[in-house]
Amino acid sequence: MGEPLITVTNLDKTYVTRGGSVIRALANLSLAVEAGEFVTIVGQSGCGKTTFLKILAGLLPRTTGQVTVRGRAVDGPSRDIGIVFQDPVLLPWRTVLDNVLLPVQVLRLDRQVYRPRALELLRLVGLTGFEDRYPHELSGGMRQRVAIARALVHDPSLLLMDEPFGALDAMTREHMNLELLRIWREAGKTVLFVTHSIPEAVFLADRVVVLSARPGRIVEIVRVDLPRPRDLDMMATDEFGVYTRKIRHLFDARGWVD
Amino acid sequence: MADDLAVTPTAWRELLADPRAFVRSRPHLPLIPLVFVAFIALWEWAVRAWEIPPFLVPAPSAVAAALVGGLASQLYVAHFWVTLSEALAGFLIAAVAGVVLGAVIAQFRLVEQTLYPYLVALQTLPKIAIAPLIIVWFGFGITSKVVIAAMVSFFPVLVNVIVGLKTVDQGKLDLMRSLDASRWQTFWMVKFPNALPFVFAGLDVAIVFSVLGAIVGEFVGAQQGLGNLILQFNFTLDIAGVFSVLILLSVLGVSLHLLMQVLQRRLIFWAEPEQVIGA
Repeated sequence: MGEPLITVTNLDKTYVTRGGSVIRALANLSLAVEAGEFVTIVGQSGCGKTTFLKILAGLLPRTTGQVTVRGRAVDGPSRDIGIVFQDPVLLPWRTVLDNVLLPVQVLRLDRQVYRPRALELLRLVGLTGFEDRYPHELSGGMRQRVAIARALVHDPSLLLMDEPFGALDAMTREHMNLELLRIWREAGKTVLFVTHSIPEAVFLADRVVVLSARPGRIVEIVRVDLPRPRDLDMMATDEFGVYTRKIRHLFDARGWVD
Repeated sequence: MADDLAVTPTAWRELLADPRAFVRSRPHLPLIPLVFVAFIALWEWAVRAWEIPPFLVPAPSAVAAALVGGLASQLYVAHFWVTLSEALAGFLIAAVAGVVLGAVIAQFRLVEQTLYPYLVALQTLPKIAIAPLIIVWFGFGITSKVVIAAMVSFFPVLVNVIVGLKTVDQGKLDLMRSLDASRWQTFWMVKFPNALPFVFAGLDVAIVFSVLGAIVGEFVGAQQGLGNLILQFNFTLDIAGVFSVLILLSVLGVSLHLLMQVLQRRLIFWAEPEQVIGA
């Protein structure tokens, strides 16, 4: 397997609130993610999932511990990372295509070179024909797909996703999960995906990282050996149920789920 | 209000496709001219019935005659252009200065904190009170009116630019930061376009204020302009003349407002007009 793409060692993150009290968000987190892996992180609201992702993205400083991507310490934003946020965060005055090309413009890459790539990514997320539309003309699911294309346009090797489908209705969400697996397979990226839905975490992942309530620490890493490519029928199988039950019990045992 | 005044492309299409349905869905449209006609008729009748002297309240017919006469003799047209150019020049100065200074203030915290008390002091000062001083400094010509118009319309632009630049949602800033965008890139690609709806709300107020500034300047001391014309008519008790100039002024104000609305719809197609701040 060689060198892991991401190595997190003994990561701690504490905040000082305005009132002066110290909040420990992440405690002694260690994790290694291989290139090409799909890892989901599941935990309750407020367990530090988003904080963890933001530290990996270089958007937040860590308190103690080491975080390396490709062997290099993370000390700021990196162009080798694409991020999909909870909201699509599209720029309403830009067309779909120009939104996808935003990273190309910011990173001062050649637009002419990346334009075909952006069009190809829009095809990949099923938005061919919508290049010249504006975000307000798209549905919520379509906007989030534009955001995914944007996160991939500058060809980062790592894709960080922070509950990207949380705002979508259940059916659109399942559809988006399938789409994401297809994109992941075709684009060959490493994905770190944060969610609070246990079925979503199991359905997508090679490995599910179960985080405890605050301060977030790793309770267990569950390897999911369901065959790929996966389809929605799989969610009804006993095997799938075994995984979701196992993870749910990890939460129940600690009294975190009402 | 604004939606009824500005004719949108969709409204045009509806009107052309089915005029009856267009009016039926907007029952206030026929009522607007009806109220106008009724009001004018009542006014004309009252003036005649009670024999109100024309130097107090002129009849609408007398006002109309004064307006037509003034326009025909080119007298009004010349004064109209003077006031319009004073207002527009003042507006342009205020717009450019407001956008540039607002951007600097919103971008640099130290500048904002340093200038803030002065801005509050200046903003709360009634700018019109300085008008006599401006006449002393810049003379009775056009320049002093341009300065007053610019002063009056500057703050609505400034305040809206600052607020607009600061109301960026954190998500967009995080997105730019995750791409390691420079301060300039974040400003031009996100903050500035994001502020445009606010900027236009400010410009809309400013353009109407600029006419106010020009008129006030002309009241205080001028040889030309519609404000000057009003004073002349007032001195000679030509009240019909005063009313006819007021009509010109309101036509001017409404036209400028509509112009801004059209520009706003064209340039900021993605957003609804925001509420106006600092008006």
